[in-house]
Amino acid sequence: MNKTIEYIRPADINEAVNFLDLNGNNTVTIAGGTDVMIDLRSGEISPEYLLDISRLPDIHGIGMKDGLLHIGAGSTINIIARSQDVYRFAPSLTKATETFAVPQIRNMATIGGNVAHCSPCGDTVPSLLVHEAYAVVHSISGVKHIPVSDIASGPYLTNIKKNELISSFVLKPVTDSQFSNFEKIGRRKALAISRMNMAVILSKSNNGTVDFIRFALGAATPVSKRIEEIENFLIGQKPVEKILWQAGKKLADIMVAISGRRPSTIYKEKAVQGLFLRLLHPVINCK
Amino acid sequence: MYNNQIKISLKINGQENTVHAPPDISALALIRDILKLKGSKEGCGIGECGACTILVDGKSVNACIMLAAQLDGREVLTVEGLNNGEKLSIEQNAFLENHAVQCGFCSSGLLMSTHALLSENPNPDQNDIRKAISGNLCRCTGYHHIVKAVGEAAKQSAGDENNE
Repeated sequence: MNKTIEYIRPADINEAVNFLDLNGNNTVTIAGGTDVMIDLRSGEISPEYLLDISRLPDIHGIGMKDGLLHIGAGSTINIIARSQDVYRFAPSLTKATETFAVPQIRNMATIGGNVAHCSPCGDTVPSLLVHEAYAVVHSISGVKHIPVSDIASGPYLTNIKKNELISSFVLKPVTDSQFSNFEKIGRRKALAISRMNMAVILSKSNNGTVDFIRFALGAATPVSKRIEEIENFLIGQKPVEKILWQAGKKLADIMVAISGRRPSTIYKEKAVQGLFLRLLHPVINCK
Repeated sequence: MYNNQIKISLKINGQENTVHAPPDISALALIRDILKLKGSKEGCGIGECGACTILVDGKSVNACIMLAAQLDGREVLTVEGLNNGEKLSIEQNAFLENHAVQCGFCSSGLLMSTHALLSENPNPDQNDIRKAISGNLCRCTGYHHIVKAVGEAAKQSAGDENNE
């Protein structure tokens, strides 16, 4: 039985999208490759073409442009973890990437892959959501912007079409007066797939009440998403411990409503509440 | 079975090399089966155990989940490139001296993670060391001797630099 697989390394993004337009259905795109290699070996995927985009100049680089933070989709998790721009303008993403898997994986895996793969547990996604990030998506028809919140349609199901390619993510930066954080729970400290992860951006008004909040939950639901009920509940409130516990309880109820009751729910209900408190505890005493 | 091959040129342990390989094999398969360098081990094959850790352009990666084709044009260091002939490297010596090797299966990967750490951070503390080797599983030693060995290697290499 002979089967041919071809390895293609395009010179630029136009060459890549032209190729995808002709062969997208039989092509697997590879950047970091941390998932592709495993799926190839297990027989999960058997493409005719492997399109290696890891060296495309168009998908690299991190920086501020026109007041927005641009992160190349080909940036490895390690490059993001060490970026001063990310630390200053999206600190929750620094935290998420610093604790992502282990050094070897951080040196390979890319943020583009983390988002496009649509694992419910993708650790970069909650941060991207609270920064209202959009993906810059290329195809032969041109360039369009897709909000990160619209990319996953279910676990491992993406709305990015077979002939499209993400080149970068664009984030609204945090301001100096905003608090931002990321937390997750895994089964051990390193290399654990997140059981739940969450990110927040929040600021308080002069009288100590919440006047701005974006909050996103991941891994505990089929798709990472902003939880507006929690945002609305906290707006106008003083974020004291009692209120945060109440919000955490609400969050647990919302999680169960979305994901249904499973054997792990008895643990996750408490854990999501505790993790929410850990995420927001620093704001109790900060101005 | 695949019948086509691609050309991969890389510098491995200081030597330029060009090989022909099937396009879908892993970097580890290229290193072990084509280049016949058997120091890098395959433990889990899914990027969880770190036994296959190599350095690509100075960065530690799991060779088992990297595509061989991605090594084209890169500089690769495997455990075979650490020692200078019969002379063991500082990391290898420290592992030996501190009994950081039991069955040995994880050792080459741990040595490569140690090398990556010390190249970037010559004065790591306990926390840095534990983080640096967090991607390498050892099922024999309980890590105590390994962490000690990495610390000793760091001291040793800092001492060497001072003597230069």
